[in-house]
Amino acid sequence: MKPWSRWRKAAHAALLVLVTVYCLFPIYFMLVQSLKTAEEDVFGNPLIVRHPTFENFEELFELRSGPARGYVGSVLRRSYPFLDWLENTLILFTGAVVITLVASVLAAYALGRLQPPGFRTWRRVIFASYIVPHTILFVPLYQVIMKLGLDDNLLALLIVYPTLAIPFCVWVLSAYFQHLPREVEESAFVEGAGRVATFFRIVLPMSRPVLVTAGIFALGTIASDFTLASVFLLSAHNQTIPAGLATMEVALDELLAVAGINLMAIPVVLICAVLARGYVRGLTASMLEGS
Amino acid sequence: MTVSDIPSRRARRTSVARQREIGVAYVLLAPTVILLVGVLAYPIAWEIWVSLTDLSPLNDGPARFVGLENYRRLAGDPQFWHAATVTIVYAVVTSVAKLGLGMVFALLLARPFRGRAFVFLAVFLPWAYPASVSVIGWYWTLSPPIPTAYSVFMGTLKWAVDSALGGGAWAFLSVTLFNIWRGSSFIGVFLLAGLNAVPPELFDCALLESKSAWRRFWLVTVPLLRPFLALAVFLSITTAFSDLTNVWMLTAGRIVFPVVGTQAYWLAIKSGQFGPGSALSLALVPFLLAVLVVFFWMFDRPETRRARGTA
Repeated sequence: MKPWSRWRKAAHAALLVLVTVYCLFPIYFMLVQSLKTAEEDVFGNPLIVRHPTFENFEELFELRSGPARGYVGSVLRRSYPFLDWLENTLILFTGAVVITLVASVLAAYALGRLQPPGFRTWRRVIFASYIVPHTILFVPLYQVIMKLGLDDNLLALLIVYPTLAIPFCVWVLSAYFQHLPREVEESAFVEGAGRVATFFRIVLPMSRPVLVTAGIFALGTIASDFTLASVFLLSAHNQTIPAGLATMEVALDELLAVAGINLMAIPVVLICAVLARGYVRGLTASMLEGS
Repeated sequence: MTVSDIPSRRARRTSVARQREIGVAYVLLAPTVILLVGVLAYPIAWEIWVSLTDLSPLNDGPARFVGLENYRRLAGDPQFWHAATVTIVYAVVTSVAKLGLGMVFALLLARPFRGRAFVFLAVFLPWAYPASVSVIGWYWTLSPPIPTAYSVFMGTLKWAVDSALGGGAWAFLSVTLFNIWRGSSFIGVFLLAGLNAVPPELFDCALLESKSAWRRFWLVTVPLLRPFLALAVFLSITTAFSDLTNVWMLTAGRIVFPVVGTQAYWLAIKSGQFGPGSALSLALVPFLLAVLVVFFWMFDRPETRRARGTA
């Protein structure tokens, strides 16, 4: 390939800078706001922080008493059970991602390897459920949840959240399983290993990149839900971070809320960043490798 | 691959073993199917039934069956057509922008350069950053509380946009920008995975065939990426259609920017009109189904062709 001219190199570099700034600016902006004191928020430069402080973060962790109103200084403020939110979010996200992965792997193995009659149709129907907008289903969904006695309970979302990601995860995983060469399993069968042992010792370790992809997709999708959480979790102690933050008062608690946003986002972003390469590798693998 | 190896598989295994295999397959499918039926199928059936009645907690007595009355009223409602237009424009505009930007990201990242890992991470982050909280951040950035240092700037910007393009333009812009920011990241990473799956020799061959990068892009890259493009477009359109959260949050639930999702939410939840609300939320489903059919057609075609080639 010809070496690039100087102009092309410059244009390439400029484009890269532009893309990076475009992607990172909103994240940077939210991070900067959360590190500000109230004073700097009002009088400082919005783009930089001169005296970074963690006081907004500390304030979030101070109170666990639930929504109470009281005077802080001369301003009427509410306090929020942020630690409860954090705990709920952790439990819910971990649980929902695990349920999503287990259900999707089982279904994908059935469709990709065992191939019951009409497995292509099964796969399509499961994927087609992706077009159902969950947000239009509040009323009937609420009836289901009430029947199960789960309203205002984290378990309700533990049931609902996996369905957000399962269609995509089954699609990706079953495409990968289907493309795995038959010999992979058959050599193990010949040596006398059962289907279950073969699955855990050979198929599952082989599909690690695709599992990473499914897991990251599930985490990203679940962490993005805000509406379902705020509809199904009513009392302050049961809410997750997104649902709770939305109940904050805009004018008074702006900095506190931005700190909350960061506290929720940073762990998710770190997990995703560490596994980002695996995510791409898994997507590639599920689509074409081994076909 | 399936057509040709079914007989050989039958020869290898007894039909009893195959029957058992099929049984196991159904057992393994059960958790997924139960979840999807409970959370999606029942509510959809309920929604379809209710859209044919006048069910509302505000009415006394049992719901009356009204047939297609709710849909007929929708068809004659200029507000519905406005919302439907806005929704479709929103879905198309964001999808085209996301696809274009995503393609640029993917092509940029496909070849090695210094600092690629960093740029890749930057492209990945808007999607990885949970939308549930970034949307709150965006809202407060675009419509800041009065005392913040940038509220005057944002206020002026909003006023300028709204007076130049009409009321609601700022709201439309902010929702669209947020959707594009997050979606282009997802699609960029997705298409990058697609590019990685293409053997590099194909691009080298293409280089000999044509000197014009533009022609190579349309004649080689796009067709090779077709299944990925189809999946990306499909995901983008469906999320834009069911996008209630982002619109709701970024416009604080006001109807300055009516999309079908927010309108249905107002009608069903806020004013208790379950019947018309259900009809409204189902009104665009045929359109989505059409998109789905096109998607399956585009996605499965190359697969079957390849399968025939290897068989």
